[in-house]
Amino acid sequence: MASTVIGAGITIDGEITTDEDVVVEGTIRGKLTAKESITIEAGAVVEADVVSGPLTVAGSLTGNITSSDRVDLQGGAKVIGNVKATRITIADGAQFKGNVDMDV
Amino acid sequence: MANDVAVLGRSTHVRGRITGAASVEIAGRVDGEVDITGDVVIETTGLIGANVSGRRVVVRGAVKGDLTGTESITLEDGAKVVGDVRAPRIAISQGALLRGFVQTAGGGNAPRAKAHSTSAARPAIPAARTSAAQLDQKRSHAEKPAAKSAPAKIAAKPATKAHKAPPPPVVHALKKGAKATRRVGVLAGGKH
Repeated sequence: MASTVIGAGITIDGEITTDEDVVVEGTIRGKLTAKESITIEAGAVVEADVVSGPLTVAGSLTGNITSSDRVDLQGGAKVIGNVKATRITIADGAQFKGNVDMDV
Repeated sequence: MANDVAVLGRSTHVRGRITGAASVEIAGRVDGEVDITGDVVIETTGLIGANVSGRRVVVRGAVKGDLTGTESITLEDGAKVVGDVRAPRIAISQGALLRGFVQTAGGGNAPRAKAHSTSAARPAIPAARTSAAQLDQKRSHAEKPAAKSAPAKIAAKPATKAHKAPPPPVVHALKKGAKATRRVGVLAGGKH
């Protein structure tokens, strides 16, 4: 279980840095940096640059993504920004606008 | 875990504002205002460097900033709070550390200026105590050495005099005096 959860109804304006898994259900504006996985749940709104391990997006994300692992854009996700990751999946139904950079 | 709960883990560092209607558990570090209409729990590892407001605020960690609870504030064992605390109901447990202005229910808005003046005046109290203590020490030091040194000097001078006084019969003093007078006399004679 993730040890950091930004629940629905919570808004954070600023920078978040953590070594733990993060689950976002609320709103984040600024920057989000995690060493472990980040999950952006459906209904969540993230307007931030994201630096993470594995990233799963089901909500709305505006900002550049840098992942040391894989990025999964699930159905219903809405992502605007460039993605830099080793692997990426874009599920059917996901909206995405941006560059993909998979440095091999 | 309910959807309307936010948890900031112990390694999580937030630089910025946290707002919203949900409840928040903070075990990490927050450098920024926490303005929540739900409950706020600051765990033992939590560290907050700004004002915190919520409905029910429970503190087990450290807060440097004002706490405002629309319902209650509880400072539990291990809490360290430097700042003003305002809520209709406030509980401060044994082991909680608090430095600041406290206001419970009723009594309208405490003017910030007053709180600041009190907080500004607060350091003056220990300072006054220390200065008073120092003054006391100084007094005692001043009195004692004065009492000792002054008589010592007085005693020393007569003692030296007394020491010098007895020598006259001894040849040394006479010799010194005699040499000096002779030299002086010689020099004087030379000069002249």
